Amino acid sequence: MRRRAFIQGMAAAGGLAFLPSLRAATSVDELPPLEGDLTLYLGRGEGGLYENVLKAIETRNPKLKLGVRRGPTAALANAIVAEGKAGVQRADVFWAVDSGAVGLISDAGIARPLPSDVAAQLQLAFRYDNWTPVTGRIRTLPYHTGRLSAEQIPEDIMAFPDSGLTLGWSPAYASFQSFITAMRLLEGDAATKDWLQRVKRSGKSYAGELGVVMAVERGEVDVGFANHYYTLRLKAGKPDANVALAYTRNDAGCLVNASAAVAVSDKPLATNFIRYLLTEQVQSYLAREAYEIPLVEGVAPPGALPRMSAINPPEIDLTALADLRPTLDLMRDADVL
Amino acid sequence: MNSWKHFRAVAFGLAAILVAAQVKADGAIGEHVNNMKAHLDDYSEEVSWMIGKIDEMVDTYAESGVEAAQPDNVVEYWEAVDFHSAIETNYIPLYASIWQGLFAVKGAIEEEQPVEQVRAVKSDLDAVLWQSLGAVKVAAEYQARGMLPPVANTEAANPVETVDIIKRELHRVVAKYAEKLSDDAIEIVQQTYLTRFEGIEGDLISLDAALVEDLEIDFNVKLPKAIQDEKSIDEVREVVELMQSKLDRCRSLLADAEANRSDVF
Repeated sequence: MRRRAFIQGMAAAGGLAFLPSLRAATSVDELPPLEGDLTLYLGRGEGGLYENVLKAIETRNPKLKLGVRRGPTAALANAIVAEGKAGVQRADVFWAVDSGAVGLISDAGIARPLPSDVAAQLQLAFRYDNWTPVTGRIRTLPYHTGRLSAEQIPEDIMAFPDSGLTLGWSPAYASFQSFITAMRLLEGDAATKDWLQRVKRSGKSYAGELGVVMAVERGEVDVGFANHYYTLRLKAGKPDANVALAYTRNDAGCLVNASAAVAVSDKPLATNFIRYLLTEQVQSYLAREAYEIPLVEGVAPPGALPRMSAINPPEIDLTALADLRPTLDLMRDADVL
Repeated sequence: MNSWKHFRAVAFGLAAILVAAQVKADGAIGEHVNNMKAHLDDYSEEVSWMIGKIDEMVDTYAESGVEAAQPDNVVEYWEAVDFHSAIETNYIPLYASIWQGLFAVKGAIEEEQPVEQVRAVKSDLDAVLWQSLGAVKVAAEYQARGMLPPVANTEAANPVETVDIIKRELHRVVAKYAEKLSDDAIEIVQQTYLTRFEGIEGDLISLDAALVEDLEIDFNVKLPKAIQDEKSIDEVREVVELMQSKLDRCRSLLADAEANRSDVF
């Protein structure tokens, strides 16, 4: 069920996975009004920003009766699967902060197919047939701008242990572990374990990825491994911060993970609700306020990120990132957890 | 009949069975907490009963020593009363202090400290119990006026509410530590960080990155380490109180940011 609606030629092209916009994003004004009862399971995410989106949708659609069940993304995914097995259907839509969680629902055969026009709005690398990414976050390499230029940062994630650079990381962090999962899938367990052990020898560990970015900014380490938004947000609060972002090419070092929406019921209302999440307005709002990366064509990324066409994330099925257990075992085996 | 009344009524050998049943229900909060005013007399009676039972324990200790006093029973008395969940759901800092007081009495007897010293520790516990009863009475009055939300699993709908939940969870950390449940306390710290704090830190970074980094270290290093190193309850509470003051600053920053947020549509 993890079938991905790739255009095969584009998959082979790799570096062209992000194309410049070919079409304008849908405006909310083009969508039908939402009417009736809808139950949304909402994974906790970007503070109140997802809530603000929901409030705006409700205000715009006074005949929509939206019930929201909130909780940790993984717990809600498990609840949906359990409800499905028991023949009970409470949720109509699941909006998850992590696309790995929808893999669980997809594998259980609960996710409903989405109309092709929904996937067609997404950038080519993010088109799936029974769920949709909403917004993305990218793995980055924050580096100290007083010591290094972007050209001095390796473009191959596997080259970092031998780069001579001092490295900062946060192995216990969930996003870091998803990144290692992607590395396992792309490079294999042996190479990943070797990478972890070699980075550990020269790396400095921090409590979280903001800590990594702050350490880079202070000059404690040359380069770190972190999601993009920590640096963007730091720069928003401190524009002269000594940190900028570099990216690897076509490997786990520039993995794009995503929040995700999946329809769990056959109600047309469920699909139409998901369409609202993909509108130009919602995508722009989440980019503007949460520094998330719009995955719908025709919507600009947060200002400080390079053009999407300049970034080369690896081709990977995001739902395959759901099972962390082999990754955690490997990290423990490598003595980094 | 309330479980504590059962407890009082039966022979002590049977008490363990009743308490076991009560302990099984630990975490399942009785409906009485949503109608506290109707149960205030019961709560008052329970507090008096507990104080009396522990007085008897101290007297037994004075007359016949540790073994006869059975100091382990302080915990069982506490777990047998409905007042337990009334204070737990309304004022968790005092709930933590009660546990601290209970273990202080238990420890003083087990260490065979002089009776005067045991009575002094017991007197501190009495004061916390009466103070807690007062807090529940105030909460009951507010509840009767419709000024308290029903007790339930709450989920925050905005970052400011999330800060409030984080603060409550940190009080629970002290409470669990005071209950000698260190693993549970650390689990609450980790879950609060992963499922609550991480959700708001994105907004906070652009507002005060140093404050967020400081709290990340508190969540991931200082507080778990204080628990793992078996610091005193007061020392763990001190770490939490410092975090609470930082969270107050977060709350204020987030409220201002939310007021200035752009519209979605």
